[in-house]
Amino acid sequence: MHIRRYDPDYSRRHFLQQMAKGVASAGVLMPLWQALAQNGEINKAYPEELLSIEGYTKGRIKTGDEITAANVELVKDLLEPIKYVQVAKMGRRLRVAKTTTDLMRLSPWEYLEATLRNQGQARFDARGNVVTAEGKPWIGGSPFPAPQTAVELFAGLTLSWGRHDAAFYAIKEYDLSSDGDLRFNYECGWAELSPIARVCMEPKPYWPGHEDKLRYQSVFFQTPESARGTSFLNIWAYDQSTFPDLYGYVPAFKRIRQFPTDQRFEPLIPGSTLYLSDAWCAGDPLYTWGNYKIVGRGPLLAGVSGGWDPSHPNWEHGTHGGPQGKTFWNTTVELVPEAIVVEAEPVKFPRAPVSKKRVWFDARTQLPISMVSFDRRGEPYRSFDGAYGLYEADGKAFMDGKHPYWSWGHVHAFDIQTGTMTRLEQVRTISGGHATRANDPVIYDKYLTNAALMHLGST
Amino acid sequence: MGKARNLGPIALGLLLMGGAAQAQDNSSGSSADSSDSSSGGWFHDMDVSFGGFIRPEVAFSTSNQENPNNQRGNPYDSISAPRQAYVPPNSGTALLSALGLPITLPLPLNWNSIPVPNVPLVATGTDTVTRPIAPSNNAFNLHILRGEGELGVKLTNDLKFITRVRALGDFGHYSDFRAPSACNSIEGCIDGGNPALYGGAPNYFQYQVDGNKHPNPLEWAGPNYLVYFPTMILDYNHGPLNVRLGNQSIAWGQAIFFRVLDVVDGLDLRRHSVLDYAQEEYSDKRVPSPALRIGYQLTDDVLADGYVQKFQPTVYGNPNTQYNIIPVQFTVHDRYSDDGDDKWSKLSYGMRLKANLGQWGFQAVATRRYNPDGVFRWTASGVSKNLPGTTTGGAPNLLGTAVNLANATSGGAGKALSGTPFEASPGGVYSANEWFHYASMVRLDGIQGLNAAINDFQPSTTKVFASPVQNYQQAVGELNTFFIAAGGDLRGHIERDYFQETVLGLGTSYVVDGEPGSILDQLIINVEGSYTPARVYTSPTLGKDFQHSNDYVGALVMEKYYRFTDAFPATYFVLQYMHRTRDDLFGRSLKGYGGTDTYDANATTGNPGVTNANYVVFAFQQPFPQDIYRVGFATLYDPRGGILVQPGLQYKPNGHWSIDGFYNYINDRLSGNPNNNLLGGLAFGNEFTLRVGYQF
Repeated sequence: MHIRRYDPDYSRRHFLQQMAKGVASAGVLMPLWQALAQNGEINKAYPEELLSIEGYTKGRIKTGDEITAANVELVKDLLEPIKYVQVAKMGRRLRVAKTTTDLMRLSPWEYLEATLRNQGQARFDARGNVVTAEGKPWIGGSPFPAPQTAVELFAGLTLSWGRHDAAFYAIKEYDLSSDGDLRFNYECGWAELSPIARVCMEPKPYWPGHEDKLRYQSVFFQTPESARGTSFLNIWAYDQSTFPDLYGYVPAFKRIRQFPTDQRFEPLIPGSTLYLSDAWCAGDPLYTWGNYKIVGRGPLLAGVSGGWDPSHPNWEHGTHGGPQGKTFWNTTVELVPEAIVVEAEPVKFPRAPVSKKRVWFDARTQLPISMVSFDRRGEPYRSFDGAYGLYEADGKAFMDGKHPYWSWGHVHAFDIQTGTMTRLEQVRTISGGHATRANDPVIYDKYLTNAALMHLGST
Repeated sequence: MGKARNLGPIALGLLLMGGAAQAQDNSSGSSADSSDSSSGGWFHDMDVSFGGFIRPEVAFSTSNQENPNNQRGNPYDSISAPRQAYVPPNSGTALLSALGLPITLPLPLNWNSIPVPNVPLVATGTDTVTRPIAPSNNAFNLHILRGEGELGVKLTNDLKFITRVRALGDFGHYSDFRAPSACNSIEGCIDGGNPALYGGAPNYFQYQVDGNKHPNPLEWAGPNYLVYFPTMILDYNHGPLNVRLGNQSIAWGQAIFFRVLDVVDGLDLRRHSVLDYAQEEYSDKRVPSPALRIGYQLTDDVLADGYVQKFQPTVYGNPNTQYNIIPVQFTVHDRYSDDGDDKWSKLSYGMRLKANLGQWGFQAVATRRYNPDGVFRWTASGVSKNLPGTTTGGAPNLLGTAVNLANATSGGAGKALSGTPFEASPGGVYSANEWFHYASMVRLDGIQGLNAAINDFQPSTTKVFASPVQNYQQAVGELNTFFIAAGGDLRGHIERDYFQETVLGLGTSYVVDGEPGSILDQLIINVEGSYTPARVYTSPTLGKDFQHSNDYVGALVMEKYYRFTDAFPATYFVLQYMHRTRDDLFGRSLKGYGGTDTYDANATTGNPGVTNANYVVFAFQQPFPQDIYRVGFATLYDPRGGILVQPGLQYKPNGHWSIDGFYNYINDRLSGNPNNNLLGGLAFGNEFTLRVGYQF
């Protein structure tokens, strides 16, 4: 018989006390990052009730079980409110996996190595940008692995979205009505590249001559015909008070034009409930949002592993639920021992449709695992939840250099007020032969320049 | 990988090869492996994709005006005009005696000296004429079924083959003009020009020039259908280099609709001309051309973009098609082939540098090109047809007979006429009133235009007793004399020629960084200008000597998104201003502006001209939430009195279907003379257009 060292409410009380004291350190039994630094495992930082679903539910839900409307009440406290409603009322199901305790399986290997290597060196400069002790741009990994403030969490997230030096995601998007009808589907490509804080791609940590930039990022659409060739290139300044430059190729105009960039809450394509602002829960420069604050912490069920499905040759995921069985991705979740909940307000978007966003971060990795935004009345507006994972399963692996590729696998973007859903999945390849890849220098020339937009533009 | 839908056997074969290659790639399971084309070689990463749409497009006319450039839209089909013939001042005594006039009369000094009397059964000297063409009143301006498809074949990671096919059919039933219906026993039929364009029913799609029935590569057309490949290219991309070789179109510049730096391609104005949905600019209008285009990203911020292309002209709507802009009393001889401009050695080429430096952007353009719009002038008709023995109404045509007799020993009046820009066939200009109305409408000088047609074609014009005039009154006399002598009317022949020119352009843009949410924040201000030294223009007289002027064109563009409410996505606004110094937006010389239907008797020129042209465009797009609906609005305003207003709505209920509707409102009489503004003569384009698209 296993004897619990801590009663089931110990961790709950701990989180409440920490919040009341304004203490932001992660970890219950010991500082999380101290435990991770020792052996890369989280076990010493959390009691058993936070390390397995069996422990949390006293065995009523086990690893491998599905959470459905029948048993969701047992884990209601582990779900964001919208996800709870989706399971309780819309037929969503969640498959429970074992909690990942090995830190190195929760983000790209090199990113985590750099996080360990560079911890303690980050600070904010006078303009609020993350710099090294010498005042230079950040050098890689999470700058604040043991975040003390909400803005530290968002600063790290904004610095590196996908945690690769460069990534190209082949994406399929599905837009569904509240009736569960698939109204639009798109194939698109999303590329991002960091000229600073590089941990893998040479030259590193900086691409000489590009230290004043934070990110090159583009998105383009391959299908359907009406959207083919539509592409946008964002070039982010390192200064997080500055809006990115935005260039676009609109098929009707057949040329690249510069576009205003301050409107980031607009649908890029018909039917979509996604905005540029939603990217990685931090799609805008850090200081175009403000009033960052930690509003909660505690365990959460989230998809931080099992997001890759190699059973389909193009990595496509199965669906279920909703009126027609197509509304939700088949999702694997695991018990995240500690999520930090942060709220922020769009201070530089006076007429944005959202009044604030609430983002759940995995305390182990500072990875955003869920987001809910609120409309101007303060009502829940849209929810986002994704699934990450190592691309290693069933004896198959998709490699990123020496290690299996780590990335997101699928995302739900759900408009609570209209019932419309946008589903995204990362696939192997989209139409036109554009294939998912990471840390490949060719990504810059192929996707992230004006010449690339010319190349990608429809004819 | 890409999906193939409705592909032919070849494409399916390619797809199967691509599928096999892809499976192999998956099993390798390495992102690094898949990213290097050199390791995979040809077909290793092959992928085939195909997509397209089909879309009927219908335009309902809301105007009671037909296109006046067409036979059945000519207002003089319903308006009668008086005509008085005069004894030609250079006819000596030969015509006097032939006309039964006493040779004791003083010799005529000009075209108003001696009126030809009406002598029943002998001579017609005066009459009243209405064009013998039945007017029409079409309910539909456009009935088109359009299908487009694009096939992309990725051969290697660096090399793609892309081809786009566009097919159009016009299956409408219009009250249109059929040339044989104009044939009569006096003048016969329309003999001059390309019979495919002037001899039968309207030819909606075939683009033909003199001496070449197939001047556009990769285009196949019949009178009611058009199939062509606006794109068929090999696309090579490696590192910062991007190369496109094949049939393609190229667009430059930040300004929309105003073509300042967008100087590479001509426009294809068949189908819906410039009256399509303005928010799409010239999306399907640029004339594709076999070209080599090289883009090179010199630095992060600087893009070099160069091209060399086979010269292909702007394509105008054919005679009597719905949006034709050249009056059909003219027969056009396009010299694109006759002058050898269709040779592969006739190349246009240019280079653009585009730099993005944060809030600032810069463009510089230099091209050496053949102006695709071409220029026009009178040309010998080449139609050898004697003047008829009878004239309108069947009365004896003593004037014509006398001209015939006077030329009997030198090959006949037909031969002489063939050396002039005129042809005595139906469907031409029937009265001086009509002549001056149309001259003004197309921005030409009716008085000096007549003189140019005479002076430039000596001695043939002298042989038929034509002579220059000193003023409007004489021009009226001479014109009406010849229309009566020709048996009712004359058709005019003009030619279209092409000249090389150098276009230099600069553009700069600035993104304003203002208070968040303010009207100025993220406002993009763009200024573009071009300079063309010694550009060749059509003379308002259509004289043989083209005009040469240094041309300056400038445009100011301001655009921004502004969110009025949190309930709706931001509205996208564009405000543009254009200034031109030599020609108007359609390329017509500003010296031809300001003409009217009548002038003072002693007027020596038909139009005063204007010194510059200014245009303002204001447009916006308002998407609804999720962009299922999108309202568009565009207006083009000419401060001299013309306005085009185009509201529209796009509805996209799902991924397959899209429904667009837009209305064109054109008012060319906001302030007086419509020939003083850009839109004069285009009021027939008041219409509602509906398009229902299905994409696959």
